[in-house]
Amino acid sequence: MSKYRAYLRAVLITAEMTLRQNVADMFILFAILFQPLIIAILALWMLQERGGDYAIFVVVGSGMSGLWSSLLFIGGNSITSERWTGTLEALVGSPLPLQIVVFGKNLAQVLQSLGSMVVSYLLVVVLFGLDVSVAQPGAFIVSLLLTVITFVCFGLIIASVFVLNPDVQRWQNGLEFPVYILAGFLFPIALLPGWTTPISYLLSPYWAAQALHSTSSGSGDFSQTLLAWGMMVLSSVIYLALSKKLFDYVLKKARVDATLGMQ
Amino acid sequence: MMKRLVSNVRLFLEGALLSYIALFRWLSPMTYLASKVVMPLSSMLFFVFLGMYATGSSDASFYVIGNAVQMAAVSGIFGVTMSISGDRWDGTLAYLFGTPANRLVIFVGRAVIHVVDGMLGVLLGFFWGVVLLGLDLSQTNPGALALTILVTTFSTSGLGLMLGSLSLITRNVMFVNNTVFFSLLVFSGANLDLTKMPAWMQAISQALPLTRGIASARQIIAGGDLAQVAPLLNVEFLLGMLYILIGFSMFRWFEYQAKVRGTLEAI
Repeated sequence: MSKYRAYLRAVLITAEMTLRQNVADMFILFAILFQPLIIAILALWMLQERGGDYAIFVVVGSGMSGLWSSLLFIGGNSITSERWTGTLEALVGSPLPLQIVVFGKNLAQVLQSLGSMVVSYLLVVVLFGLDVSVAQPGAFIVSLLLTVITFVCFGLIIASVFVLNPDVQRWQNGLEFPVYILAGFLFPIALLPGWTTPISYLLSPYWAAQALHSTSSGSGDFSQTLLAWGMMVLSSVIYLALSKKLFDYVLKKARVDATLGMQ
Repeated sequence: MMKRLVSNVRLFLEGALLSYIALFRWLSPMTYLASKVVMPLSSMLFFVFLGMYATGSSDASFYVIGNAVQMAAVSGIFGVTMSISGDRWDGTLAYLFGTPANRLVIFVGRAVIHVVDGMLGVLLGFFWGVVLLGLDLSQTNPGALALTILVTTFSTSGLGLMLGSLSLITRNVMFVNNTVFFSLLVFSGANLDLTKMPAWMQAISQALPLTRGIASARQIIAGGDLAQVAPLLNVEFLLGMLYILIGFSMFRWFEYQAKVRGTLEAI
């Protein structure tokens, strides 16, 4: 029991440290504030002719774009950034599993990225003067909680894969918009060719978008929301189990190849 | 006189080539593919699908053309800015300030290959538009479109040179780059009909590169000829020259300050 308490403490301290560091990082500010804001402005102008509940749709969709961009560019570099600052050796040498540290870092990044949704909300309400309300507040909060968890777990996979294979990290720039598209952040995936649908189903951001859109706008029945929640829980469990293997492999490989500090 | 001219031309061409190689030497083909092909393509697809969701698939060409021309900004903003800021981060800025070389030749040379690269990017955008999104170019005058792409890429690179000068006094060059690039998505008319925008947005649009280039490309693809878009292209070109002038003035001022302070760095 004390072990898990220590892990929880480590997660919280790491999250606090990460938040403090990120406050001064202008690129992070761009990823979680400016980019979602610009996407929200664009989407508001573009979607206004559709009418209906487009305002809350834009708030959620542009907020999710901030969540994903932040996870990809900042969470993806969770381990690599420790390597750059020379602290990776000390982290790996400590008795605390590296996975716990990265979990704490990702938790901070995902939580701060929720600011994207707040900024989009303020834009829509204050500047555009639109009425925005969440149709199912309770279900929306559950969806948001599960979104945070599944994004943090997904971040564990991304961070370890980026370290294991720098060639994959070089695709970082190319991975941002495909997930915006495949996860249906701002338009339904029904617009896309049918062969892309199974890919969307494999992405937890798709299920997060489904749950958040349906509970915020009140569209769709509750069974769809339940399915999305179930898929987020399932994918989080799979990501956690897989990331444990990946982290073990990263550390073993680093020790065997003696390449912890340098690639 | 002739000797100086030859020397400046050599400096211009070698500087242009070397700065481009210096910027991309670390790239593997896969990284180039991800940054210059997949990222622009996926960005274009995102905004085209969003536009089709908003207004229907009959308007797809509006978004395809806008986002294809917007690709000029990938090289024009990111590439050019990083070529200028690269001197600072790689430690060669002090040496550059110490040479007697013609500053204008050095400064403008940093953008030359990015203009060519940017044109290729826009052409690739149109290629994707035709192949994946059914863009119809049957009414297009190819020469007029090529000139539009050249002028637009030039003007966007002018803005890039100005931002490059800014990068000499800020540590947050990526923040500046990204903010300007994404703002262009709003204000250039790539994704919005500017005539329906508020007056203040239209005023900002008129002061930016890309706006007239995108409008010109839309007219040409709809069957317009060069004479019709010439006024747009003239202003687009002049705008590019203005941004270069502002950027160069900033560059010279920062150099002066660096020498006066004895820092041999801009800050």
